[in-house]
Amino acid sequence: MQKQSDLLWVEKYRPKKIADVTGNDEAKALFLDWLKNKKHTKKAVLLYGPPGVGKTTLVMAAASEYNFNVIEMNASDTRSEKAINAVAKPATSYTSLDSFSGAAKKAGGNVLFLDEVDGIAGNEDRGGVNAILKIVEESLVPVIMAANDPDVEKLRPLKKVCLLVRFHQVRIPLIIALLQKICRLEGVKAEFEALERIAQNSKGDVRSAINDLQSLSEENHRLTLQDTLTLSSRNKDVSFDDTLRGFFSAQSIADTSRLLSYSNVDYDDFLLSVADNLPKRYTDAAELAKAFDFVSKADVFRGRIGTENWHLLKYFFNCLAEASAVNPASYKPFTFITPPIRVITLFWTKGKRTTLDAICGKIGAQCHVSHQIAREQYVPYIRLILQKKPKSPLAAWFKFTPEEVNFLVTMGRF
Amino acid sequence: MTIVLNSKGFKLPRLEKEKFVSLIHLGLDYDRNAGLFSIKSYNNIEKLIETVGVILGDEVVFQQICIGCGKSFGCKECSYVETCSTKNLPFSCVCPKCLRGQSSEASLVNF
Repeated sequence: MQKQSDLLWVEKYRPKKIADVTGNDEAKALFLDWLKNKKHTKKAVLLYGPPGVGKTTLVMAAASEYNFNVIEMNASDTRSEKAINAVAKPATSYTSLDSFSGAAKKAGGNVLFLDEVDGIAGNEDRGGVNAILKIVEESLVPVIMAANDPDVEKLRPLKKVCLLVRFHQVRIPLIIALLQKICRLEGVKAEFEALERIAQNSKGDVRSAINDLQSLSEENHRLTLQDTLTLSSRNKDVSFDDTLRGFFSAQSIADTSRLLSYSNVDYDDFLLSVADNLPKRYTDAAELAKAFDFVSKADVFRGRIGTENWHLLKYFFNCLAEASAVNPASYKPFTFITPPIRVITLFWTKGKRTTLDAICGKIGAQCHVSHQIAREQYVPYIRLILQKKPKSPLAAWFKFTPEEVNFLVTMGRF
Repeated sequence: MTIVLNSKGFKLPRLEKEKFVSLIHLGLDYDRNAGLFSIKSYNNIEKLIETVGVILGDEVVFQQICIGCGKSFGCKECSYVETCSTKNLPFSCVCPKCLRGQSSEASLVNF
């Protein structure tokens, strides 16, 4: 089990009671009023507001206080109609298997919590919004949703059936007071101006303020205004190339960790670029293998972070930092490959992919199959037929243009 | 001059029906017996404050309650008012005295 001292302060001081959730008192009152009232006028509630202001924390604190079992689906889960029904349907019934166990007798029942509903998009989440609507209509248990941006077009039908509860950025004085409390509990001697600077830099995001406080004061248990001066660079645009250069020339793990935490680069692109450039950085095979091992671990953490579990970012940074510091002494300047090869490849093949997509669309329309099936199961054979007989009536039947026929005949791999 | 209102109950001059209805739609509640308006929903708070401001012909600010000492205070007293993106809401905050003074320790217990 993880020791208390090893925990991130964000987790350690995550409110367990509703009263402990900082700020947004009106939103809290409205939400609790809805939760406690068994005869809801609206069957679901949509909590919305910027990240880090306590939406998820409030739901968890309320669940713990009223003994609700929270059945949660967040952005890291696929939220297609099928997936939502598989999880939510059993959860939204009062009589679940849980009710037969002794411990569950005390429980207040189930609550379905769908976090980051504004993130439901794309083919993977097809039918998700409609499935949620159905669940809300039929549900016997409270359905709670959270979103950062409620104005997404897809959420319009959901907003009609939900009680809307708006969360605002948490104010600077409230964040300062919370940081003061954490400092007291952790035995950190902090200057007021330093806490003030962290709070202002957080822009109302309590989570990032606590993370900043921990990163700056955990080691020395002292915090001065001077220590917080590096915080300003968080909002500066450290370019992708500069971050990459700093990464490969770093002399220690701590250097790289600091650099990464202050840079605003896209983590996915950065990871790809690091992987592309590692063979140039490490010429020794054993060092290269070790570095790639760390990058692969970083990739695993990036996947686990998704769009929600940002508390794992520290581990992502640590793994990347380890990759940069396998052998700091061996660093020699080299020309970086940037942007990532994968991004360049996608850029150069965009025209080809668009043509192939159009061809698959025509095949799909005639044969009543999806683009994917057309690409995987039809294109190879149509290509062979057309290579042997370019003027085959098949081309006319599919309504291929001469350019599309030529593309199919000459295409290499797809 | 800024008009400071108490969110739990404030009076407005007699309104035309359309204006009254629009205020109710924006989230105000009206206690017919006491003749007092109060804020019921905070989702359109900016628009609500703007409309009340137009009715009263001046800038409107709601009183804040300090979670430390429990006293009312105005946002004007706060040194972060210029950078605060949530003026008026929530109606509870930490007053400058509590934030820097001895009583801030007491206020922290509430978090």
